[in-house]
Amino acid sequence: MDRIQGSRCPRCLRVLAPPARFCPDHPVAMEPVELHGYGDVISFTTLHSPPEGFRSPLHIALVELPAGARIFCHGSETKLLRVGRRVAVEAVDQVFYFSHLGLADRARLFWRRAGDRGERVTAMAKSVVKRLFRGPKDETTEAP
Amino acid sequence: MSDVWIAGAGMTRFGKREETLQDLMAEAALAALRAASVEAPEAIVVAAMNPEEFVGEGNFATHFATHLGFAYVPALRVETATSSGAAALFTGFAAIAAGLRRSVLVVGGEKMTHLSTPRVSELISRSIDPHERSYGATMPALAGLVTRTLMAGHGVSLREISQVSVKNHAHGALNPFAHFQSRVTLEEVLESRVVADPLRLFHCCPISDGAAAVVLTAEGTGIRIAGIGQGADYLAVRYRDNLTSFRATQAAAEAAYRMAGFGPERVDVAEVHDAFAPFELIALEDLGLVPSGKAAPVTMSGETALDGRLPVNPSGGLKARGHALAATGLAQVAELVWQLTGSATGRQVEARVGLAHSIGGLATNNWVTLLERAA
Ligand SMILES: [Zn+2]
Repeated sequence: MDRIQGSRCPRCLRVLAPPARFCPDHPVAMEPVELHGYGDVISFTTLHSPPEGFRSPLHIALVELPAGARIFCHGSETKLLRVGRRVAVEAVDQVFYFSHLGLADRARLFWRRAGDRGERVTAMAKSVVKRLFRGPKDETTEAP
Repeated sequence: MSDVWIAGAGMTRFGKREETLQDLMAEAALAALRAASVEAPEAIVVAAMNPEEFVGEGNFATHFATHLGFAYVPALRVETATSSGAAALFTGFAAIAAGLRRSVLVVGGEKMTHLSTPRVSELISRSIDPHERSYGATMPALAGLVTRTLMAGHGVSLREISQVSVKNHAHGALNPFAHFQSRVTLEEVLESRVVADPLRLFHCCPISDGAAAVVLTAEGTGIRIAGIGQGADYLAVRYRDNLTSFRATQAAAEAAYRMAGFGPERVDVAEVHDAFAPFELIALEDLGLVPSGKAAPVTMSGETALDGRLPVNPSGGLKARGHALAATGLAQVAELVWQLTGSATGRQVEARVGLAHSIGGLATNNWVTLLERAA
């Protein structure tokens, strides 16, 4: 299972990802923590005229990890996505991606983010060595 | 604390304007000074969200003061992203309430339409958390996330959201200062192109040039600022545990009602920050103007239309009057002044108390202002 790097407030135990230097609720330095790489979809959207540096359509999801941290993720498509659905999350070069699909789809989604060829190849290679995480319920068999 | 009065208001028509930012501000300021019968204010508060990038000018308070022939009048600039106009009003209010000034000209403006739309979007999106921005999050993207949670969690339909745009365009059609002075149909809204799924183009406010101004005085006139409140929230949308209400609006409203000594039941007319149509529905509930879960049905039944029980955005709102960023908070107040003094020709409602609601960033720095006509 993929792990996500986060941070925890020693005072209120609030968890954030990616790590933040200070807790947003207290002027206290946060401590590093490792988080499970899955979560529930809070919301998602698709941009058809994304900002410069991103390919269209650009899929963005807001996912809540079990530790309570909400993270922004990219993904290859949102057809199967629903609010409340559990998805796998992984970080590649510090960018979070959600997926509930096969490895091929997962590899494809890295192409959504613009970058030079070298960066993309590195990201693909990193992904291939990681095993696909499937949530407690296998949602890959569910019809759209 | 001394009472603070609005002696006069003025604004330019919003839209695509050829004038410079300082000329737009001068037009609004001169109209407000004329209406107030004030020749020269004791101080000037200027609101401009980003003149450095939009028009390439800094030190803008002095720039404007010199331009208008008030070089010796002390001027300062206030900024809270898209709610800068409301923040400038608060600054002028505080100076008079504290007894430091007897009259203050508050003027806000923005000039953007000479730049390309992607460039304007990029500059506005700098008020978003940098990490979220690195995922391509723009204002419409974040509003799209909010809209989906509103639809999924609260059963609000796209039809109900679209009715806000239909209503506000109908109001804007009656306002000579509005960017868009034309009606739209529900079908046109629903069939407009997708911007940030599920948000469509006609759910989003336009990019407008324009300026608005008010003159505040310590001497009593007809309209008093009864309450003014600011509310704050995380810059990062992902830090919030609720996307279907805005804490910054709730906190600002609570502070404004507390200062005024009355609650939402006395509000007769409201100008709210409908940068995206669903934000009007969220605002109505956050401001306590309608019970929780009732914003969509009251909008569908016409209660918030010009001839309804509680007219909302008689100016056309950000959707139709337009959104000239730092001018918007003051344009809302100008509209309320005209509504409360019976000078909103063609769109006049019956009102004694008006509420203005302004959102800074993605509801990170919000303001609520309550105006009351003296009995
Ligand atoms: Zn904390």
